[in-house]
Amino acid sequence: MSAEDRTMIVRIAEIVIDELKLQDITPEAFDPGLDFVDELGIDSMDLATVVLVLQDEYSITIDEDDYPKLRNIRLIADYITQKINTPA
Amino acid sequence: MVNKDAIPAAGPNIKKWKFSELLADQDVKQKWEKVRRYFFLRESTYDMTNRCNIRCDGCYYYEGEKQFSPDNRHPESWRKLMQEEKKRGINYIVLAGAEPSLVPELLEVCYSEIPIGSIASNGSIRIPDSVRYRIHISVWGNEETTMRVRKARNLLQKQINNYEGDPRAVFVYTFTKENIDEVYEVMPTLVQHNCRITFNVFSSPEGYHGPLRHDEASLLKSRRVMLDLLRQYPDHIIFSWYSAVAHTSSTGLHSLFGCSYPRMNKSTDIGLGRSFRQYRSDLSWDRSIACCVPDTDCEDCRHYAAGSAVVTARLHRHVTDPDTFQSWLDYVDTYLAVWVMDYEKEKNLCNKLVAPPEKQNSLSEAFITPPRHNTLESGKFA
Repeated sequence: MSAEDRTMIVRIAEIVIDELKLQDITPEAFDPGLDFVDELGIDSMDLATVVLVLQDEYSITIDEDDYPKLRNIRLIADYITQKINTPA
Repeated sequence: MVNKDAIPAAGPNIKKWKFSELLADQDVKQKWEKVRRYFFLRESTYDMTNRCNIRCDGCYYYEGEKQFSPDNRHPESWRKLMQEEKKRGINYIVLAGAEPSLVPELLEVCYSEIPIGSIASNGSIRIPDSVRYRIHISVWGNEETTMRVRKARNLLQKQINNYEGDPRAVFVYTFTKENIDEVYEVMPTLVQHNCRITFNVFSSPEGYHGPLRHDEASLLKSRRVMLDLLRQYPDHIIFSWYSAVAHTSSTGLHSLFGCSYPRMNKSTDIGLGRSFRQYRSDLSWDRSIACCVPDTDCEDCRHYAAGSAVVTARLHRHVTDPDTFQSWLDYVDTYLAVWVMDYEKEKNLCNKLVAPPEKQNSLSEAFITPPRHNTLESGKFA
């Protein structure tokens, strides 16, 4: 994983922790493969909140229909990278 | 004549608002923080018994197959069910059909296991104080109409006698095509007894084409009356301008927002499609027909229970501009006050009519909102 990818994953982890008030996890220790729904118990409104902050952070638009794809931090990072690299 | 409830035509909204910009206003931020604390709620609904002490025209319970489910009256079976529900993450329960007040012992069991929830009741029998759920008491018109549609004499007076001053109680006035003006008779009585009221819109059961079913004109009239009453009785009515818009549009909730309940939502990835169940009185459930008010005609669904989840779930669509986002916040603030004990609604942030936003996708990346030229009279905005 490149340093850039690692930075993005940690930043996304920070946002998830901040928005969902997951006080027991640090961004650096957050397992990027942890499943939001099955392992963290995150539901649709929590995810919607995270998505809105991610949109601001990375100046992208995330489609409603893509929410189910965003099951963990690694998938989010991949999704954002793809969005950033795809010309509008 | 100028109609003050008309939705003004809006020009293209070319500004792409950031979420953080929408939260810059302190009142908005405060309401957002207030409502988001309840995003942890995970609901399911339960028919408590197949019995009712009255029989209303257009009743949802006595449509479809569920009415033929036998009752499970064993408290320990219900306790076990509630414990299992907790294990799978359900922390909010709606106890409904046919008439939950007939089985208080089961309500007690449910409350002892899952203490956040609500009960839909006709209000003719008082539910014990120990069951500290929200209690929704259905009102369907004046005395004459209540006699005709519900075959119940002096029902409003009985409801008030049972629940006057009860912090659990919210009276739910259901607007049908026939009873719109009658709310002006009912409201002063409820207000005089310091009752709190919210509004519902009759949504036809499947196959129902009787006189209660709304048409476009009656929906628009209902909206106008709702807003008029909201202006008159702001301290007693739990409602918002956007609630009125969302529930009286010529298009039903599913077409407007996409229903999140399993019956209309095949996805089991996340949200209601994943966790929601609707149990019958024999404790069985069937995902394929599960929704908050089963056997409603989905195309005609404007039910307040459906909206609480369906509109709320579409947060994403409502972050387009300050008015739309504030309308959504008012809506969620309203739904929480109606459904959650001890949650108090604040003043509405947006006291104007805002059209429900259309779904955004990558094809509308520029977030250019189409002009909205819809008016109360035309009813074409939705």
